[in-house]
Amino acid sequence: MTSLAHDFAAQLLAFLDSRQTERIDIPVIQPADPFLDMAGESLRGRIFLTESETGETLCLRPEFTIPVCRDHVASGLSVPRRYAYLGEVFRQRRAGGSEFFQAGIEDIGETDTASADARSLADALDLVTTIAPATNWRVTVGDQAVFEAVVSALGLPRGWRHKLARAFGVNGHIEALIETLGHPRAVSHDLPDTVAAALDDGDAAGLIDAIAGRMEELGFTAASGRSAGEIATRLIEQSILDRARLSADEIAVLRGFLGIHVPLAEAAQALRTFADRLDDGSAMEAVIATFARRVEKLAECGVALDQVTYDASFGRALDYYTGLVFEIAALGSEAPVVGGGRYDRLLTLLGAGQAIPGVGFSVWLDRLEAARDSKGEGVA
Amino acid sequence: MTIVIGRPSKGRLREKTLERFAAAGLPLSEPEDERLYRAHVEDEPEIEVRFLSAGEIARELAAGVIDLGVTGEDLVRENIPDWESRVKIEARLGFGHADVVVAIPEVWYDVRTMADLEDVAADFRTRHGRRLRIATKYWRLTQEFFSRTHAIQVYRIVESMGATEGAPASGQADVIVDITSTGSTLRANHLRVLSDGVILKSQACLVSSTRQRDSSDADLLARITSAF
Repeated sequence: MTSLAHDFAAQLLAFLDSRQTERIDIPVIQPADPFLDMAGESLRGRIFLTESETGETLCLRPEFTIPVCRDHVASGLSVPRRYAYLGEVFRQRRAGGSEFFQAGIEDIGETDTASADARSLADALDLVTTIAPATNWRVTVGDQAVFEAVVSALGLPRGWRHKLARAFGVNGHIEALIETLGHPRAVSHDLPDTVAAALDDGDAAGLIDAIAGRMEELGFTAASGRSAGEIATRLIEQSILDRARLSADEIAVLRGFLGIHVPLAEAAQALRTFADRLDDGSAMEAVIATFARRVEKLAECGVALDQVTYDASFGRALDYYTGLVFEIAALGSEAPVVGGGRYDRLLTLLGAGQAIPGVGFSVWLDRLEAARDSKGEGVA
Repeated sequence: MTIVIGRPSKGRLREKTLERFAAAGLPLSEPEDERLYRAHVEDEPEIEVRFLSAGEIARELAAGVIDLGVTGEDLVRENIPDWESRVKIEARLGFGHADVVVAIPEVWYDVRTMADLEDVAADFRTRHGRRLRIATKYWRLTQEFFSRTHAIQVYRIVESMGATEGAPASGQADVIVDITSTGSTLRANHLRVLSDGVILKSQACLVSSTRQRDSSDADLLARITSAF
């Protein structure tokens, strides 16, 4: 009989304990809403859902980051704090079983973000190296904040800045969006006369009144939904955006940035060279300085920078990831063994009363075992 | 052996199906005892006909219980996971037209396209303390269209088994994904379809199950479908 548990579990727990962490136990049965609220409805088809007797939607733990952060918020404990976990997660996958083990560390509340970022990546790399010392690893890093700084330096309208920031890291979508913003198509607008007149006159108060009047007339009470003010504000912003388009130069800058793919040791310099070519590259100074400091800290943590690549287009589609993202895979293999990143928006989304930074990583232990057992295979 | 055909048991879909099968030289006559739920076709002892609802036909095709059936394309795409590997659309029959659409309150004057709706969905939690809610019975089609086609990740689906059009006005949801043939119910509820908000143009289809069958059954099935 084969066991789901891994023979290196004890070694792994010892490793986690050696990294100034506290072990956290997360129940296997979880309320489903936080996962669906945070990660989106597309998760629904991949998790195991059930219902309690009282009608609450429950699921089998599909990952650890969200419940660890929820548990932290509920505990009200002081920060900084480093939580470590090892346990089963349950997800429907096209390939492989639907229950498998993950381990990881969530670093909550450390305000020296460059150091915390570096330590998280170094911990992850040390962990996989401890278990599979003969495997060669390749590490890819990306940074949401750098992309947002590029978009900001271009001086694009607010609506577009946010739209581009959201599309960052979504497979294929960022390219499509750049294309669309470069060649916007006119969309006809059928507005009631009162609304159209107020919009043409630039009469914001009149516009709100006209929309509110229509809402009342049609029976849409904005009790919990969108208000007339919100609709009016966007309508005004939209009439400005309708006359704008990304210039060929701006498109070239964005594409040039997304194409940056360099060894991490050269990344800060590559970003400075890129920023120098912008009209207002100074807007990128602060974010490049933070980036460079993180690289220094990584070197201090003993990470061999030559196995790390900076891919400017690498990001995560989830809106709570705010900065560094990273992935570790065995050389010659596509499937990541580790996924990690900074999620400074997650704890407030989960109800924390104040902003609490966070960074962490998760290791897929079945993939780690496979990497250990096939060491050297497929590698030149 | 036998080929089992699932025939819609009632309504306009039943009438139109009978017409089309008769025109194809295969009259699916009613059983003499109308309480029966299955019948045979005259001079075709190897064809069995079962009377099922359109939803049941989609399900039984997916399970391989029936070989051939008439049902809506929306039901095939919504109710059968990985439908292309389990069933095949043999013919689109030209009746039962209806669109699965994204509709929003008419007063959302700033939302014309899915790209606009993406902006609204992204800000929704910050502004209203919850995600944008979509009322629908089309979970799968909604997820594919929002998450995959338009990269809208953050929204919640509110299951709605009827009167979906009323959900925005009653505050149960903000927008809906529903099926419409003329759009009159949407208009009556002051909802508007987004300019690129048609998820699927559905109609009645002749659908076969891709299950394994022996060569004589396969020949018979091919003979039937070739008449459409």
